[in-house]
Amino acid sequence: MGVPAFFRWLSRKYSTIVTHCTEERSKECNGVRIPVDTSKPNPNEVEFDNLYLDMNGIIHPCTHPEDKAAPKNEDEMMVAIFEYMDRLFNIVRPRRVLYMAIDGVAPRAKMNQQRSRRFRASKEGVELVEEKSRIREEILGRGGYLPPDEIKERFDSNCITPGTEFMDNLAKCLRYYIADRLSNDPGWRNITVILSDASVPGEGEHKIMDYIRRQRAQPHHDPNTHHCLCGADADLIMLGLATHEPNFTIIREEFKPNQPRPCAMCGQKGHEIKDCQGVAREKQGEHDEFADAMPASEQEFIFIRLCVLREYLERELTMASLPFPFDFERTVDDWVFMCFFVGNDFLPHLPSLEIREGAIDRLVGIYKDVVHKTGGYITENGFVKLESVELIMQAIGVAEDNIFKKRKEDDEGFKRRNKEKKKRMKAQQQGPSYLTSGQFAPQALGGRGRPEVVQNARHQAFDMRMQGRDQHNRAGTSDGQDGRGVKRKAEDSDSEPDPEDNVRLWEDGWKQRYYKTKFDVDATDDDFRKKVVMSYVEGLCWVLRYYYQGCASWKWYFPFHYAPFASDFKNIKGMFTDFELGTKPFKPLEQLMGVFPAASGNFLPETWRSLMSNPESSIIDFYPDDFAIDLNGKKYAWQGVALLPFVDERRLRAALAEVYPNLSPEENKRNSLGSDMLFVAKSHSICDFIQELYRGESHEGTEMPAELCHGIQGILNLDGDPILPDKPVESPIPMLRDIAQNSAIGVKYKDPQFGETFVFKAVILHGAKIPAKVLKPGDWERGNRGRGNWRPQLGFNSNRQQVHLDQSAFRALGHSINRQQQGGGQYSNAPPPGNYHQGNYSRPPHSGGGHFSHSRQQGLLGAPPPFNPNPVQQYPRQQYSSGGGHGWDRSMQSQGAAYQQNLQRGGHGGGQGQGGYHQQRGQDDRRGDRRDDRGGQPGYSSGRSYPLPPPARRYNWS
Amino acid sequence: MAEMEIEEFIEQNRHLATLVDTYRGISESEKHWKARREFLFRNINDFEDPHIDQLLALSMVWANNVFLGCRYSPDLLEKMKEMAEGIVVEDAPVFKTRDEIMKNQNLRSSAPMCFLKSMLVYGPGACSLSSKGNTAPCLPGMIQTSLLYY
Repeated sequence: MGVPAFFRWLSRKYSTIVTHCTEERSKECNGVRIPVDTSKPNPNEVEFDNLYLDMNGIIHPCTHPEDKAAPKNEDEMMVAIFEYMDRLFNIVRPRRVLYMAIDGVAPRAKMNQQRSRRFRASKEGVELVEEKSRIREEILGRGGYLPPDEIKERFDSNCITPGTEFMDNLAKCLRYYIADRLSNDPGWRNITVILSDASVPGEGEHKIMDYIRRQRAQPHHDPNTHHCLCGADADLIMLGLATHEPNFTIIREEFKPNQPRPCAMCGQKGHEIKDCQGVAREKQGEHDEFADAMPASEQEFIFIRLCVLREYLERELTMASLPFPFDFERTVDDWVFMCFFVGNDFLPHLPSLEIREGAIDRLVGIYKDVVHKTGGYITENGFVKLESVELIMQAIGVAEDNIFKKRKEDDEGFKRRNKEKKKRMKAQQQGPSYLTSGQFAPQALGGRGRPEVVQNARHQAFDMRMQGRDQHNRAGTSDGQDGRGVKRKAEDSDSEPDPEDNVRLWEDGWKQRYYKTKFDVDATDDDFRKKVVMSYVEGLCWVLRYYYQGCASWKWYFPFHYAPFASDFKNIKGMFTDFELGTKPFKPLEQLMGVFPAASGNFLPETWRSLMSNPESSIIDFYPDDFAIDLNGKKYAWQGVALLPFVDERRLRAALAEVYPNLSPEENKRNSLGSDMLFVAKSHSICDFIQELYRGESHEGTEMPAELCHGIQGILNLDGDPILPDKPVESPIPMLRDIAQNSAIGVKYKDPQFGETFVFKAVILHGAKIPAKVLKPGDWERGNRGRGNWRPQLGFNSNRQQVHLDQSAFRALGHSINRQQQGGGQYSNAPPPGNYHQGNYSRPPHSGGGHFSHSRQQGLLGAPPPFNPNPVQQYPRQQYSSGGGHGWDRSMQSQGAAYQQNLQRGGHGGGQGQGGYHQQRGQDDRRGDRRDDRGGQPGYSSGRSYPLPPPARRYNWS
Repeated sequence: MAEMEIEEFIEQNRHLATLVDTYRGISESEKHWKARREFLFRNINDFEDPHIDQLLALSMVWANNVFLGCRYSPDLLEKMKEMAEGIVVEDAPVFKTRDEIMKNQNLRSSAPMCFLKSMLVYGPGACSLSSKGNTAPCLPGMIQTSLLYY
């Protein structure tokens, strides 16, 4: 979903849904890399059954990464993709199914967004190349040095669209990858791999949903399957909730804002391309062997546990005193539906709802009212009850005026604060932060007039103090006060003025202005407004259906660039009945014609391409060279709305009918709709069955026997050019070897089929066990301790073994660090990660003691009272804690992190811990005198760097 | 063609008018459709049946240029200019295209995206007259936003 703010909002509000992944790293021994054995238990203390990869979230960062140098050619890209998948597989370690879905042809509703992205990407690419060559010349002209421009073709990310040669290659490479891992990796031995490549219509994540939905609807499905879905889109959270599977986890890259990006010109970090000065001519390493090495930290992964989110939602949405029994599952569906109002890929969001302004909380409040009033939920199995929607919309509509006004206020307040902050920063840089004034003012030596006798010193001091305070409060204004005549710089020379906003939603008459500016119609034009509202209502129905039942219509789309106001939703009850049945998706090349700008025409056959540029073409209007962008209150072009014309499907198909005969057989193949593929290794129980199918050469679809494959159902068809055991698989990538000893088998796979009017039920399945509660019971604080101690759960395992040293270990530890240590310290069991290269460690100034009553090492390895040579230093462990509110949580989390680090350290040769220790001693010596006074501090520090031994019974969880 | 003339034209060519009405897009407002319909009426005689799609494409090129701010190749816009000769669009919106925004951001000066009350007359040598009385030379069919900064 195009709402990046959604995940941020969610993870801030419901922080416990996020858990950091524990990743076992492969070790190196005598220069040989030992791969991780993924058949071993999962170090995250949970076992997943199915892993679903939304491949587009993997392909994009691997082919044109933002945080490191781009791969040089297609082969390197493929290898990068393989490595990324290996990493994910290692973290998640699915035991039954690995489902890889690449985006295929998308429903028409998505085309607007796809067009807009591709038209922009194409322009951005050209701009980057131009800017690069301009700056390159500049730098070289100034005598700077740049590495020679490798002759590498710019990778046009637009080729990541179904139907291109690149996607076809990718599909081939993935088959090879699957065959290789199935043959060689012990962790893959018993899993079923399903590959849904770009030739199968549907967006990746929705193909995955379709698979889950259809498996759930057949009787052999295991209701306690633990699903893990990989992808960064926020709508995966909605999709996960929409399945009503109790065990559903999402894995994604941890988003760290403000990461330094390498300059596109020289590859060095720390500046942007426009400030590039060229590369220093220094050798990196003795023989320049490190020239390409980039000290990039790998992205970490996080889990998002939907079962915890469900707990939060249950708490938030539960309604008492309803006239009918409360059904949590139904309210989840309603909640998902309301989140669509705030934004989705298929509709522009309502102008009054901004996620940052607490739109969802507002909606939840309204929702509860509406449910009470109407006596029912607003959705059922993905079908919408429009009367209730109207009530919700009207309730938002009432507040709309105030929302816009408040938005303006907040916005201005924010700007004002920013400005002041900037001024303050500037003022602080200009001189000493504090100057005495009046009779205490500093005077130049040998100046005229001798200092006078101090009079009324206390009052003067008071004045200065007050002045200092005022200065601090309204910094910047003091510049002129001391009369030293600093010339005021042109104010805000670096801040750009805001783009003008003609709509001015915060002033009366906003509705008229909005319709006039955005739609170019008068506000009195009720028919037009009704048309927009009707399309939007259809859109809401379509989107919800898409999430709960699959694509209802491949043809439907929202034909405007903007949404109406919530208050315009009047009498919407009759506005929607049903979608046209039996619509068909575009063919891949047809869709390419629909989403590409003329500049990306090189991905299309020649006669097709000319339709994009020939003035005589009957679809030339789809391909403008340049288009307007409405900043719509935003600052940058990429945030604005691209005003691109919509595609007329009839004319597109008619124009293409004439050039269809020009397709080569190869292109025809790329243009055809393909099938999902299923792969297993020889060791899998269904392998013999599939081999039998090939031997029998049956050309009809065969039902999968459920008992052979964990209850997974589907229809198998023979593949024309199959991967078969003992048939070598040729490597499509020169740098990887062929698989001589293949033991994988592949076959065409089709999801279980249901009638067109079949309704998938959005309910918890019979026999599903709801996972144990994780959140602290709401009434626990009220002192009902009879139930025993409540302990926060970190990670997946509720009885996780805490890291623990026994007495002898502490004796050994104590011996090797410092014997004089005495006294108890609450931080003794909380090693802040990353601390060992910092040398000293400071206790956060105001964290109280009492949280640590659970720590059992207390008093054994005592830390001294805080000794703080460097009081402003940040407490380094903060970055690792995912925001549990209590100190206790944090300490435990960082323990996990420390464990992880120890593993990593082991992986990198185990030398670091030791090194850190030595460094520590150096520190100690330097402040030896203090050590004498304070006793123990050095030992305390070096205690951090001592690797904790991995706990025993690490994998004994139930 | 003035309003009257169009009414007359429709009256005389009922059949053609009904046909043309089927080409109206769902997102087209009355105002936009009227202008495009006039464009179609003016040129429909030059495009016989198999080429009607080409005319539709050209009408959309023109409409997208005027009402959506899209830019096409100069050849195409030149052709539009001829075909749209004499069509009056009142109160045409003014846009900033992406290229212009990027250029401005690079120059570190940002010009406002603005709407100017204007009346554009499409035809050779025509000028755009703003309702406030000041005139600005403007190529027909190409809206020069760079002239409208304030």
